[in-house]
Amino acid sequence: MRSIEWAFLFAVSAVGIALANLVGFQVGIVESLPGILILVALSLAGMACTKLIPLKLPIVAYVSILGLLVAGPWSPVRDFVIASVGVINLTAPLALVGAFAGIGVADQLGFFARQGWKMVVVGIVFMTGSFVITAIISQLLLTLTGAI
Amino acid sequence: MALVFAVIASAIGQISIPMGPGTLILSPIFYSLILGILSGPSVAKVFKTPEVKAASKLVIVAICPFIAKLGINAGASLDTVISAGPALFAHAFGDILTILIAVPVALALGLKRETIGAASSINRETNLAVTTDVYGAESPEAKGSLAIYVVGGMLGTIYFGLLASLVAAFGLFDPLSLGLAAGVGAGIMMAAATGVLGAIYPAQADQITALASASQTIAGIDGVYLAMFVALPLAQWLYRTLEPRFAALRHEPSAVLAEREAAASKKDATEKDGE
Repeated sequence: MRSIEWAFLFAVSAVGIALANLVGFQVGIVESLPGILILVALSLAGMACTKLIPLKLPIVAYVSILGLLVAGPWSPVRDFVIASVGVINLTAPLALVGAFAGIGVADQLGFFARQGWKMVVVGIVFMTGSFVITAIISQLLLTLTGAI
Repeated sequence: MALVFAVIASAIGQISIPMGPGTLILSPIFYSLILGILSGPSVAKVFKTPEVKAASKLVIVAICPFIAKLGINAGASLDTVISAGPALFAHAFGDILTILIAVPVALALGLKRETIGAASSINRETNLAVTTDVYGAESPEAKGSLAIYVVGGMLGTIYFGLLASLVAAFGLFDPLSLGLAAGVGAGIMMAAATGVLGAIYPAQADQITALASASQTIAGIDGVYLAMFVALPLAQWLYRTLEPRFAALRHEPSAVLAEREAAASKKDATEKDGE
């Protein structure tokens, strides 16, 4: 896709975030505007990075690093960025992801109906493993560092 | 259209249904997901297949602002991360070692490339976003990731509460280790687990909560990089290595071998063309 199209799509998603924030969390449009502009600007900058830097990294890698850079202790705009983005509720952009993803998987409903129970098994295995193994490693590290 | 769904979903807000030891949480992302599915070609036919394909590309546009916010959160709490002890990184080992268990389980159940998304992480928002970005929204990998995301979102809270009380009942672990372990999942899972742990160890409840949220914060920060550079490549490698064996066990044709043959014959064909 061309850059202009991307810019347009990001504008659409900015409107979506603003509306979802207004309706769901009673945050006024004017109040959420700076935060949304920061988020969209970072996204566009990340998009530009994937085009300009010849490394094969996904766009989320750049966007996340850029976010870290503008909000880190070294950033002159740190307080402004953190305060403006703080009023943007995280579920607002996520609700958008959900809507897009729902439309995207809609033609594969059969897959989820047939494979759903397997996914429940894998999910349970992962949650159990992750919790128990993290507990074991934490126990080791805490004992080694003398914290317990 | 997606905008409309997102707005409707946010308007409904979060619904919590108390169930036994935990709470069944329905958050806005689920309504918009369900609305999206319902309007698709298999149900209400509001959208046709070409529009569905276009929507998958749009996912990335919606994900970027979310990841930007995660990055900003990471920058904001960088001090916490630096001051925190090495134990806070325990979750990384927990996740990576679990991949070694979860990939074979998924393959034994006959899942194919979905395994890479499904069994590479606990699949909270961050992982869903990264998998979707790396493999594309329509890929089997992203489908696997989304499926576990939905499972975790619906059952995770209840299950984490149960799991925390069960594991605590064995008495093998220090309450503080359990506190760190409670931070591996989504915020809401952590809340369920720390609630249970706090009730079991009232004297250390505050410490448990503090460690869990620190662990959770760190997991949110290194999660993007862990998923991109370690978890997904590892899951992919395991899948490629183990899939043919599990397929043989299940008396099924192997998807990996079929892919390899297809690639090989394609290569042969191009070589012949060259001659």
